[in-house]
Amino acid sequence: MNYFFNKNGPLISTYLIIAISFWLVFLIIIPQLYMFDLSFRPNIPPLLRGGPDDVYTLTHYKHFLFGSETSGESYNYVDVGVFRDTILIAVLITLINLCFCYPIAFYIAKVASPNTARLLIVSLIIPFWINELLRSFALRILFAGEGFINNVLLKLGLIDNGINFIAMDVALYTGLNYAYILLMIFPLYNAMETLDKNQLEAAEDLGASMLKTHFRIVIPHAKAGIASGCTMVFMLTAGALATPVVLSSPNTFWFTQLIYQWFNMNDNWPRGAAYSVVLLSVSVVFVLLMMKIFKVKIGEIVR
Amino acid sequence: MKSQQALNILLGIYIFIFFTYLFGPLVIMSITAFNSAEFPSVTPWECFSLRWFNEGKIAYDGQHLAGLATDWRLHEGLITSLKIGLGVVLLAVPIGLSAALVLTQVHSRLRTAFYSISIMPVLFPGVIIGISTVVLWDRIATMGGGGLVTQLGRNGVFLTILAQTCFISTYCFLIFVARLQRFDQTQEEAALDLGANQTQVFFKILIPYMMPAIASSCVIAFLASFENYNTTVFSILSDQTLTTVIASKVRLGISPAISSLALVIILITLTVTIIYEVLKRREDKKKKELEAEALFAQTLDSRLKKTKTNGLKIPKSIFVILFFVVVCIFGFNKMVEKGMYGSTCIAAAEKEKKSNFADQLKLLQKNAEIANQRSSENGDVGEKKEFDSIFGDPNLFKDFGGFDSKVQDQD
Amino acid sequence: MSADVELQNVSVSFGNFYAAKNVSVKIEKGEFFSFLGPSGCGKTTLLRAISGFSEPSDGKILIGNQDMAGIGPNKRPTSLIFQNLALFPLMSVADNIAFSLEVRGTGKLQRRKRADELLELVALSGQGDKKVHELSGGQRQRVAIARALAIEPEVLLLDEPLSALDLKLRQKMRIELREIQKRVGITFIYITHDQGEALTMSDRIAVMNQGELEQIGSCHNVYESPCTPFVATFVGENNAFYGTVSAVDGDMVNVSADGNNFSAKAGDLGEGKKYTFKKNDKVIMFVRPESIFLKDQNNQADNVFTADFKAIEFEGNLKNIYMSINGKQNVRCSVSNAVDTTVLSNSKNVELKFSSRDAVVLPVGPLAVD
Repeated sequence: MNYFFNKNGPLISTYLIIAISFWLVFLIIIPQLYMFDLSFRPNIPPLLRGGPDDVYTLTHYKHFLFGSETSGESYNYVDVGVFRDTILIAVLITLINLCFCYPIAFYIAKVASPNTARLLIVSLIIPFWINELLRSFALRILFAGEGFINNVLLKLGLIDNGINFIAMDVALYTGLNYAYILLMIFPLYNAMETLDKNQLEAAEDLGASMLKTHFRIVIPHAKAGIASGCTMVFMLTAGALATPVVLSSPNTFWFTQLIYQWFNMNDNWPRGAAYSVVLLSVSVVFVLLMMKIFKVKIGEIVR
Repeated sequence: MKSQQALNILLGIYIFIFFTYLFGPLVIMSITAFNSAEFPSVTPWECFSLRWFNEGKIAYDGQHLAGLATDWRLHEGLITSLKIGLGVVLLAVPIGLSAALVLTQVHSRLRTAFYSISIMPVLFPGVIIGISTVVLWDRIATMGGGGLVTQLGRNGVFLTILAQTCFISTYCFLIFVARLQRFDQTQEEAALDLGANQTQVFFKILIPYMMPAIASSCVIAFLASFENYNTTVFSILSDQTLTTVIASKVRLGISPAISSLALVIILITLTVTIIYEVLKRREDKKKKELEAEALFAQTLDSRLKKTKTNGLKIPKSIFVILFFVVVCIFGFNKMVEKGMYGSTCIAAAEKEKKSNFADQLKLLQKNAEIANQRSSENGDVGEKKEFDSIFGDPNLFKDFGGFDSKVQDQD
Repeated sequence: MSADVELQNVSVSFGNFYAAKNVSVKIEKGEFFSFLGPSGCGKTTLLRAISGFSEPSDGKILIGNQDMAGIGPNKRPTSLIFQNLALFPLMSVADNIAFSLEVRGTGKLQRRKRADELLELVALSGQGDKKVHELSGGQRQRVAIARALAIEPEVLLLDEPLSALDLKLRQKMRIELREIQKRVGITFIYITHDQGEALTMSDRIAVMNQGELEQIGSCHNVYESPCTPFVATFVGENNAFYGTVSAVDGDMVNVSADGNNFSAKAGDLGEGKKYTFKKNDKVIMFVRPESIFLKDQNNQADNVFTADFKAIEFEGNLKNIYMSINGKQNVRCSVSNAVDTTVLSNSKNVELKFSSRDAVVLPVGPLAVD
C-alpha cells in the first residue's frame, strides 16, 4: 500500500482510489446486490418497507415458474414459455449468425487483398454506427403489411394479399439476426487474421480437403474468436429490447419485454428484479459454459 | 486451379449477397425518406418531397405526423441525449483510465481477478444494469428524506448517466489498457531521475502519451451513450432521450420522419468516416516521409530521396463522387419532368387521395344502406352480421391502412 | 560540483536472490569509474540502487558523505542515462534537455538558454527544435547526455550507453564521453560488459561477477595484476597454465606444469598484499598472449618451453597463434602482423618463451566463461 502511494504521489493515488472504488463498489457491485436482494422482497408500498410485512420471500420466483395462485394452471406456461422461446431462439440465432459470418470473416482475413480487406471492414462498420432501433425500423419498413416486400410481391403478382411477416415472427427473428452480426464477424476476423497463411497452403499441399482444413486448422485456431462472438451475440440477443419493441407482434413477447412490463406497467419492481435475476443467471451460465467448452479465459472473450 | 477459382467466385457472390442483406434495408429506408406518402414506401411512389425533413403533415385523423424539423419531442430527446453523453464522457473516461493504471500496478496474482471484474459490466445485459441502478437509487432516494439526494435519485438524467457509466467505463478501460501496454516505463523513471515528482510525471509524461487513447475513449464513450437503449429505457424514468423517442414512435405511428432521421445519421456517419480515413491516410504518409528523410540524412542513400510531388494530387474517388452527382441531377430532372416533385405534385396526390377517401366513405355509406335494407327485410336485429358485411370488405380504406382483418368477437 | 560515492557493504536482494552481495567501494570525486562484468553480474542493480530506484536490503549508500537511504531518485544529486536512452518522444530535443529545469519551475527563456549551452557542449547546436525520432543513434546519445547534465548533477550514472551503436561509432563516442567528463569534471559511474570500453575510458575499474566484487583497481593494475582467475580471464585474453607449486622464493613462485618448470610472480591479493603459496599447492599460472614470444624475438625471457602448432588466426593488426603442449594444455600467442610466421605451419616443438615478470600465479578458481 505504501508502495502504491509512493509510486503515484498523493494526488494521483487519491484520484485512482476514489475512481475505482466508486466504479466497482457503487456502480457495479452494490446495484447488483441490491437488485438481487429486492427480488426476494414482497411488492409493498414504500411506507410499509422495513416494517413487519417486509420479509424475504420466494413468491416472485414461484410466480415465474408456477404462475399466480389464482390461475388454475400448474405451471406458468406463458412466462416460462416466453423464457424458453427467448433462450432457444437466441441460441438458434447465434448458430445461424456463426454460420453466416464464418465465410465472410474467413474471406476478409485470409483471401482478400489487404486493400480490399480494409474497404470491406470499413463498409461493415458503417451500418452499425446506426442505432439498433433505426435499423429495426428499416426492417419494419420492409416487412410491414404495406411495406416494401409486400408491395413488390403484390406488384409482381406473386401474392394476392399481404403476408403478415410481423405476426409470423419472421420480422423479429430477422431483426435479431441483423442486429448483432458485426459482433460475430469481428472476433472471428481477429482470430483468423493471426493464422499464418502458410499453414493453409501447407495443408493444401499435403492434400487436405477444404472441409478438413477448416475443421482441423482454422476452427481450432479461431476458437477464442468463436467463443467470443457466440457469447456476445447470445447475450445481446437474449437481452435485446430495442429490436423486439419495434418488430415483435402483439402476441409474441421477448423475455426482456416481460421484465419491462413488470416494471413499468404493473409497477411490481421486486418481481421485475426477480425476472432480471433469472435473465442474468442465464447469461452468466452461458458465459461460463462457453469458457469451459472452448477453454478460453474471460479476458479473451471481450472485444 | 479451377476449383479454387470457382470457390472464390462463389465466395464473392456470397459476400455480395451478404452486403446486400446488410445495406439493403438501409438503402430502401433512405429512399423512403423522400417519398411524400404517409407510410414509408418505395412503391407506390407518391411524390418526391422533402416534407419529412421539415414540417411533416396532418394525417386524416387529425394527428400531426411531424417532420424532423418540427418534431419537438425529438428535439427534446436529442438535447437530453447530448447532456447524458457529456456526463458519461466526464465520468467514464477518468474511471476507465484509473482502472487501466491500477491494473498495471497490482500484484500479478490480483491482476486476473481485477481484470475480470472490470470486464463484467459488458457481460451483463443492458436492461439489468438499468434496472439495478433504478432500484438502488429509488431506495436511496426514499432514505434521503426529500433533500438533494432524493431529487437526484429520482432524476432520469442522473440515473442514466450512472447506469451508462457502469459499462461504458469498461470500454474506456479496454482502450487504455491496450495503449498502456506499449508504454515505455523507463520514461517515467527518467523523468523521476531528472527531478520530477510523481504528479508531474503523470501530467507531463503519461497523459501526453495517452492522449490518442483519451481522445478515442471520449468519442467511443459519447457514441455508446448516445445510441444506448436497453439500459436507458429503464433509467430515464420520466425523461426521454433520442432513442426512447424513436422507440415510442412504434406506438405513436410510423412515418417517414424516421427514415429521414436515419438518413441524416447515415450521411453524418459516412462523412465522418470518410474524413477520418482521409486524415489518417494523410498522417500516415507524412510520418513515412519524415522517417525516410531522417534515414536519408543519415545514410545518404539515394534510393530514399523522394522528389517532392508538385501540385495537387487528385484522388481517384473524386470521379466516383462526380459520377454520383451527375446521376442525381439527371434523375432529378427526369422526376421534375414527370411531375413527381414539388408541392403541385403533393397537392394533386392529396386531391386524389381525398377523392379516394370520399369514394370510400360513399362505399361505406352504400354498404350501410344495403345492410339496413337487408335487416329490415329479414326483420333481423342482429347487427353483428351487418357489421361484417360493411366493414369486412377488404377493399375498404385500403389506401389508408385498412381495417384489422381479425374482427373482434362482440360477445 | 562533484561528489564522491561510497557503497558500504551494500547488498540488493529480490526475495531469496541476491543480485549484489556485500559490495564496498569508494568512488572519488571527479573520477571516471567503471563497473565491468558479464550480464547478470549485478552491475545494473548497483547502478539503480545508487540512483535510487531500488533500496539496498543491506548496507549503506552515501553520496557526498550523505546517507541516501529513503531518498527517492528525484531527490538524489544523480542523473541516470538509461540503456535505451528513454528520451521523451513527444517533446523536442530542446524540451527534452530542459526537462529537469522545467519541473523545477525555471522560466522559459532561461531553459532555452541552458538547452542551447548544452547542445553546444555535445556538438548538436541548432538541432533543438527537432523531434527525437528525426535524429540518428549517435545524436540521440548526445541528447541523452545533455539532458542528464542539465541540472549539473554531482554524479552521472551511465548504463551501457554505447551497446546499441556499431563499432566505429562506439569508438568515436568513447573518446567524446571521456572528453565531456574531463570538461564538466563530475563523477562518472559507467557500467559495461565490454572490457575494451572500460579500459579505454576509466580511471579505475571494478570487476564484478555474480553479484560480488572481484577486484577494484586502475586499468593497468587490473590488467597486469589480476587478483582472481576470473579477472585474469575476463579482462583481456590470458593463457591459463594449470600446475602445482614446486618451490617458493619470496615473491617468486616455481610452478610445475605439463612437464615444464616455470618461474612466475605471486599474484596480488589486494591492498598491497600478495598470495602466499606452499609447496604442492594447486595453482594456475597466467601469461598474456602478447607476452609469449617466438624464438627469434625478445631475448630477455627466462621461461622457455615447446609446443605444437595448431592454427593461426589473422585479426588484422595481430596474429593469434594457437598451439598445444602435449595435446593437453592450449597456448595462445599473439604477435604483431609484421612478424613473419610462415615457418611455423604444422611444425612440432616450436620454441616459445616468456619472462617471469609477465607471469602471475593465482590459486585455482573459476575462469570467466566466454
